[in-house]
Amino acid sequence: MVREYKATRSELIELKKQIKLSTTGHRLLKMKRDSLIAEFFNILDKAKGIRSGIQDKYDRAMERLSIAKAIEGTIGVKSAAFAALENPEMELTTKNIMGIVVPEIDSRSVKKRIDERGYGIIGTSSRIDEAAEAFEDLVEDIVIAAEIETTMRRLLDEIEKTRRRVNALEFRVIPNLESQEAFIRLRLEELERENIFRLKRFKEA
Amino acid sequence: MEIAVVGDEDFVLGYKLVGIRKTYPVEDEELESVINDVLQDTGVGILVLSTRSLGKVSAGAKRRIMASSHPVVISVGTEEEEDLREKVKKAIGVDLYRS
Repeated sequence: MVREYKATRSELIELKKQIKLSTTGHRLLKMKRDSLIAEFFNILDKAKGIRSGIQDKYDRAMERLSIAKAIEGTIGVKSAAFAALENPEMELTTKNIMGIVVPEIDSRSVKKRIDERGYGIIGTSSRIDEAAEAFEDLVEDIVIAAEIETTMRRLLDEIEKTRRRVNALEFRVIPNLESQEAFIRLRLEELERENIFRLKRFKEA
Repeated sequence: MEIAVVGDEDFVLGYKLVGIRKTYPVEDEELESVINDVLQDTGVGILVLSTRSLGKVSAGAKRRIMASSHPVVISVGTEEEEDLREKVKKAIGVDLYRS
């Protein structure tokens, strides 16, 4: 969107105002981008660690579950699962980092004692307990990762958006306005000179 | 608030063992509609998806699912999650996950 400007003094004043506004906006957005990136680096290390942790725990949990299934049979594991008590509860609230809404998760412990799990201790083998324990471990990590990863996603989206805006202002909007301003200024000077020359000719005649 | 799990039968079973009630074993055809239903459920705080299931949905739906902040969506699975890494590369310009 390039607007055509007329070569008048009022347009020049208007343009100058716009340039000033754009540069202020540009400076602010740049600051926002930098602090978003700083915020991002703060959680990056945490996110890296937790991802690989989840991967390991997932593999371990699946292995334990497969063993439990092999020994107890799928039906046995399923019936234990149906008897499992106590849904892990957590609280989901939101927090604001520089205008971005990110989740904050507060979870009560997922881990339970063997007798709290709900299925009979005598009727089932320890393989099921091991599988349940591995999954409790995993779910605990998932709850933490859910918060961190979603925060990262939101931050990254915002960084990208801000970066695009900064670049658009820096490389398109501001240069455009400045060249228009230069054009009007030169045109006005030219008009001025023409006028002086004309007056001179009048005087001579 | 509760945790919900969506994935294939094997994926879901382990979470059931922990006591998570909202587990939805799904076939590929009904995957998107089930995920949508869970996203609408206000009682769910975290939605755990298997990476395999997430790979099955269309790109647009995936973007929508990952953009949800209530519930928060996270994918877990055998295949490594490349999505976040790609995002970092795109937004920052450097592959920060490379170690």
